[in-house]
Amino acid sequence: MRPIPAIIDVAVAFDAVTVALGGVSILDGVTALVPQGGCTAIVGPNGSGKTTLLLALLGQVPYAGRIALTPNADGAAPRIGYVPQRLAFDRGLPMTVMDFMVMGRQRLPLWFGCRARLQAQARDLLAMVKAEGLAKRQVGALSGGEMQRVLLALALQQEPDLLILDEPAAGVDFQGEQIFCELLDGLRQQHSFTQLIVSHDLATVTHHSTYVICLNHKVMAAGSPRQVLTAETLTATFGLHMGLVASHAMPGAGPGCTASCCAEKENPLD
Amino acid sequence: MIESGGVETLIRVLLPFECLQAPFMQQALLGLVLLAPMAATMGVQVVNFRMAFFADAISHSAFAGVAMGLIFAVNPHWSMLAFGLLVGIGIMAVQRRSSLSSDTVIGVFFSAVVAFGLAVVSRDRNAARDLQRFLYGDILTIDHDSVLCLQILFVVIMLFQAWGYNRMLYIGLNPLLAKAHKVRVGVYQFVFAGLLSLVVIFAVWAVGVLLVTALLIVPAATARNFARSAGSMFWWALVVSLTSAVTGLIISAQDWARTATGATIILVASCWFGVSLLATCGRGKKG
Repeated sequence: MRPIPAIIDVAVAFDAVTVALGGVSILDGVTALVPQGGCTAIVGPNGSGKTTLLLALLGQVPYAGRIALTPNADGAAPRIGYVPQRLAFDRGLPMTVMDFMVMGRQRLPLWFGCRARLQAQARDLLAMVKAEGLAKRQVGALSGGEMQRVLLALALQQEPDLLILDEPAAGVDFQGEQIFCELLDGLRQQHSFTQLIVSHDLATVTHHSTYVICLNHKVMAAGSPRQVLTAETLTATFGLHMGLVASHAMPGAGPGCTASCCAEKENPLD
Repeated sequence: MIESGGVETLIRVLLPFECLQAPFMQQALLGLVLLAPMAATMGVQVVNFRMAFFADAISHSAFAGVAMGLIFAVNPHWSMLAFGLLVGIGIMAVQRRSSLSSDTVIGVFFSAVVAFGLAVVSRDRNAARDLQRFLYGDILTIDHDSVLCLQILFVVIMLFQAWGYNRMLYIGLNPLLAKAHKVRVGVYQFVFAGLLSLVVIFAVWAVGVLLVTALLIVPAATARNFARSAGSMFWWALVVSLTSAVTGLIISAQDWARTATGATIILVASCWFGVSLLATCGRGKKG
């Protein structure tokens, strides 16, 4: 395992986080830091405990060890926005996207309609994720990619300091995923939140993350993508030889990628 | 609380049916007009939370409630309420902590309370007759005290709905997402489970153990088919439940029908559901 490089501004510190469910060890003494700002990716094979680590962070799974969240600029606990993997929900529920956006903000029951002020706010948020045309659609009738953007808008409504995304690539085609990741990169620069994503898709991670934690029940490696996404750590993490990521595709390594999101990515953590 | 003389006049003006002139019918009508909307609005969340089986377990705890009444020599009405509340909160607490799936947890509770109730009651022949009353329910014998209780519960339920409707939609959609976004999921779940238990037990008095779930589910399911937004679902559930309750009561009192009131109400509501299915089919073709 490589030494974890020193990080000055930490958003989340996992300290010896251990989770065992039904006698099976899922996370075994996970110690890792998530730097403030930027996009931190947790990668690992299926069943490596990535989602469990997120659930522990969200307080949904009992764990041993410590998870410390750095207070935000106001000195309060950081606000969290969460975009779940595939929202398991009842598609038969009659609910418009507007209802969906307003329900968390409005105390007045929705039977009396949505307040104009909150509707305007919701429209702004939807426009932010390029989903302004969806306001009147039924939530149950959205496609995977549309649902993902609406969920992102809902998470942004929290004005998050920490935006957590679980497998944002799941259920979306490659192009949709690229657009979504670029959208996120843009939003992150605009709103300066810390982005924490869980993914098993190395191509996405390579392109869009500024910090990577390789997880397979414990931390196999952590650092900038260039440091971490090498053949040897990937073999250690995924348990087989990974010849997929060529080093020239790494950000900052020349002509690999010309996307705008890569151009600005000179990693301050190196 | 509502002045009973005023209510009688109101009923005579709004619903000029001969069968509604008898005081016991007016009492029953008042009871239903209070109970049906409560059941229907709580039913909206029962459907969203997929808690139909939960409601079933509470209604069956009525047997054990009667048994408790026998053991402690109290009016079975009150022991049913207390025991139903206890079972509802108990299931919710175990369900939240256990890694077992919720229908398994409820299934265990369900069988335990039914077995307990039958075991105790089987020792006493008189009590067995009492049980049958709760199996089919009897809104026509509802007394003044019960109507008073219903009025109080009605106010509490409607206040709770007004306060929590939006947040409970959030939780119904996905509890984890709601929790991450600072909705106090636990508080809502427990308060909901407690209030639902009370509504279910009152409904057992009215329509009987076998049909309680229908009183909760059918208006809400119909509302889902008609409604196009989260808010209108609430209004549809109210309309369907109220019209079913009043129509059902009147039909059941007609000479040509003479059916059990609870069952008739559920039949009318089921017809509503049939119509709503046609409405969704029509919409499907258009869209």
